[in-house]
Amino acid sequence: MPPFLSFENISKSFGSHKAVDNVSVDVSRGEIFSLLGPSGCGKTTLLRMCAGFEEPDSGRILLDGVDITNIPPHKRKVNTVFQNYALFPHLSLRENIAFGLRIAKRPEKEIQAEVDKMLDLVQLTDHADKLPAFISGGQKQRVAIARALINKPQVLLLDEPLAALDLKLRQRMLVELDGIHDEVGITFLYITHDQGEAMGISDNIAVMNQGRIEQIGKPTEVYEAPRSSFVAAFIGDTNFFEGTVTEEKGTEYLTVKIDGFPDVTVFNDKNAHKGDPVYLSIRPEKFSVSVEKPAENEHVNAVEGIVEEVIYMGSHTRYWIRVQDYRISTNRQHIRYALDEKPIQWKDRVWLSWRTDDGYMLERYAAADEKLLILPEE
Amino acid sequence: MKRSSLPLLTTIAVLVFFYFPLVLVTIESFNASKYGGPWTGFSLRWYKTLFTDAEVFRALKNTLIVGVVSTLVSMVLGTVAAFALHRFKGKLQAAHYGLIYLPLVVPDILMGISLLLFFVALKVELSLVTISIAHISFCISYVTMVVLGRLQDFDFSVMDAAQDLGADRLTAFRKILLPLLAPGILAGGLLAFTLSIDDFVITFFVSGPGSTTLPVYIYSMMKHGSPPVINALSVVLLAVTFVLVLYSQFLNHGGKENA
Amino acid sequence: MPTMIPRRRREEWLLTLPTFFWLTLFFIIPTVIVLAIAFKPAAPHGGFGEGWTLRTLMELGNPNYPAIVFRTLWISAVATALCILIALPVGYCLARASRKWRQFLMLLVVIPFWTNFLIRIFAWKQVLHPEGILKKTLVALHLVAPDATLLYNAGAVMLVMVYTYLPFAILPIYAAAEKFDFSLLEAAQDLGSSRLGAFYRIFIPGIRRGLLTATLMVLIPALGAYVIPDIVGGPTSEMIGNKIAQRTFVDRNLPHASALTGLLLVTVLVVTGGLYVLVRMRKIPRALGRSLAATGTGNLTTTAENTAPVTPESIADLVAEEEKNKEENAEEDAT
Repeated sequence: MPPFLSFENISKSFGSHKAVDNVSVDVSRGEIFSLLGPSGCGKTTLLRMCAGFEEPDSGRILLDGVDITNIPPHKRKVNTVFQNYALFPHLSLRENIAFGLRIAKRPEKEIQAEVDKMLDLVQLTDHADKLPAFISGGQKQRVAIARALINKPQVLLLDEPLAALDLKLRQRMLVELDGIHDEVGITFLYITHDQGEAMGISDNIAVMNQGRIEQIGKPTEVYEAPRSSFVAAFIGDTNFFEGTVTEEKGTEYLTVKIDGFPDVTVFNDKNAHKGDPVYLSIRPEKFSVSVEKPAENEHVNAVEGIVEEVIYMGSHTRYWIRVQDYRISTNRQHIRYALDEKPIQWKDRVWLSWRTDDGYMLERYAAADEKLLILPEE
Repeated sequence: MKRSSLPLLTTIAVLVFFYFPLVLVTIESFNASKYGGPWTGFSLRWYKTLFTDAEVFRALKNTLIVGVVSTLVSMVLGTVAAFALHRFKGKLQAAHYGLIYLPLVVPDILMGISLLLFFVALKVELSLVTISIAHISFCISYVTMVVLGRLQDFDFSVMDAAQDLGADRLTAFRKILLPLLAPGILAGGLLAFTLSIDDFVITFFVSGPGSTTLPVYIYSMMKHGSPPVINALSVVLLAVTFVLVLYSQFLNHGGKENA
Repeated sequence: MPTMIPRRRREEWLLTLPTFFWLTLFFIIPTVIVLAIAFKPAAPHGGFGEGWTLRTLMELGNPNYPAIVFRTLWISAVATALCILIALPVGYCLARASRKWRQFLMLLVVIPFWTNFLIRIFAWKQVLHPEGILKKTLVALHLVAPDATLLYNAGAVMLVMVYTYLPFAILPIYAAAEKFDFSLLEAAQDLGSSRLGAFYRIFIPGIRRGLLTATLMVLIPALGAYVIPDIVGGPTSEMIGNKIAQRTFVDRNLPHASALTGLLLVTVLVVTGGLYVLVRMRKIPRALGRSLAATGTGNLTTTAENTAPVTPESIADLVAEEEKNKEENAEEDAT
């Protein structure tokens, strides 16, 4: 099936700054597709080009097979939920929602019926005649969504729609958004800097950094199989290890030498060979921490270290464990807190172990991305 | 924390200072005595004299004509200028801003005499037209500043939103921007109107025979007329000011509650 | 989009030209004419003659004029200082008052400001009149001699100046104080400062922009004052403004009037520029412009917008922020 919305080799500069650098993205019909990245990564520029507020310097945007690159915003079947909602302050909620249909000069009866339907969808029927200044942030959010959806856009653009809400409300709205998407079945292009939102709601995610796409994939793919150190460190937390392949164990596994570690066995994700340098990313939750040395197992790596920092988080505890120059971040779930083995404490000597399949070899590594990792002060 | 009572006492003293002369004038306007001073009985004769003075009404009419004309023209010019200043940045707008800013910091008397000499040099007869030109010239700056302030406060993403929802630029301007900015433009106009009807110094320089405005007439009364009549006029003007200010305040509040 | 540039240019000129044209024709050119006439010889029966001369300018050296300039400066300076001193506690009081009281007090402060300027001056003339109530009270209290005059001197001029210009000082100070975070005063006291110390070390610097705006808004009209010294002043309290009017209307010596106007302009520019350099705040002209414009509309806009009264400081800050954002947006992704 051909993509429904596609960005083809899009570039856009503001002065000397390259906001978007040769980006290509395909979005399928009906999915929730997220553009995820830190501020200034170019995701908003990409969205604004899709809405028609900016024109790319090069490349084109196709929607359902039609080139919309140079069509002005008011002629596109694309609607936007703005970050700060951009509700019209002088119009009631009802008139805000009706705006698009009034511009399209639809018959009054039809407008009222459609608006009522929308008000019902976003559960604002009781507030229909209020002005935007008199409703809460979450309600404004819902008006903004209704105002866009009523036009039955081919694509709904959501620009950091939850950024202005507090944490609890954000989680509730996310569930609500997902519900609305299931109901209307319109393609959503969702812009966010919050990996939790993106992971939770998206069918596919494009991770952006400095105007480029780092990786496109399903949430589990970008989390479990990050291609670059940026993706690994930006989404969740991780640990980076640098080593050299000393031996190939059949086609599937490698023995890797990491400074300060005994020989480590690693799944060969990237078809590396003897002598190649490799960069590994291992998520904190993949590690087991124990006082006793784990039993020997060819599918488990183990190394001894010292607990440097302990932070109790309720559902789990975070430990940072020093092994030579590495400070390794780990998580430990508390399933039966009081019954678990005796708590591990600061300065304890412990064993760290992980399964040979749980590390992931990165395609690209940049030392700067280490700054994204969560590490205690040294 | 215990607070000092000095600010409150000063404020009360200032308010007494503000209103004491106004109250005195009000009382004096009902004093039968011709030269003020001791109370010689309640009388309305000064009001009668005032309301039978045709000159006062002629001056009032002139004031209102000039006020309305200069308000309308400066509202249009000032709003256009504010849009230019807000939308474009660069050397031209820096100069534009400077040009609009200057009249605000130049003493009135300078503007008055320079316009007078300008009209004299061009052999333009002094009339309501010259007064209006002068008033427009200083009102533009005020209107521009007020509208510019509103524009800077304005969240332009609603314009994007309107276009996103299918409105072309003109429709978005008409349906969204204009209604939202109207209060600001009106506020600028109100300020211009007040400044125009209140202006004495500049008008004094550029008014000719037959184009006396109310402030100019009050001034000549102050120089040559009888004080009790001026008192009566003052009370009338004070009353009008009070009513207008209270009314605008009422509108302000009423609007908020209904919204 | 290179094709957009010419349209943008055209639009810019279209929006800029009307005011540019108007103000050049009716403000810049007349000002230049005034300054030029100062270099023309006076004609015997009013107006000015042919040719160019420096005589008028030299005549400004006549001891009469420097005395008037000096008097104008000190009367204005004292009136301004008094206005600021009085406006500070009032602004503070307004900013700390509860919402309801604040609106009521603001209204009371603003009403005199909206009443006709001449009427306010005339009211004082009657108060200060030899037969007026103030004089009689003061004599009864043995505070002044029965033959003392309250009118027609520099004191009367300053008093009426303070009366007329005080709202100009209160409004910007109030606007700045309203934005001031008063918990800072508590923090200062917590750290060992006295109440007065906190006021001077924290509050005054915190509202310094408002203070400067207030200073300029009183000082500039005071320097150019004409009506106040004309009505309540006497020969010993003549200011530059009076001389300009006298030369224009009485002597009909236009070159002299022009030269004096030039002198006034230079005085205003020097004083403003001096203050400007003194405080070294580059954003002042904008803040001042906003204040001038906002003063009248503060609380009295007839329309219900959900905003607080236009505060010059907040607007000036917005301008600064806006400009910063603009620059950033131009270069970066707007995320």
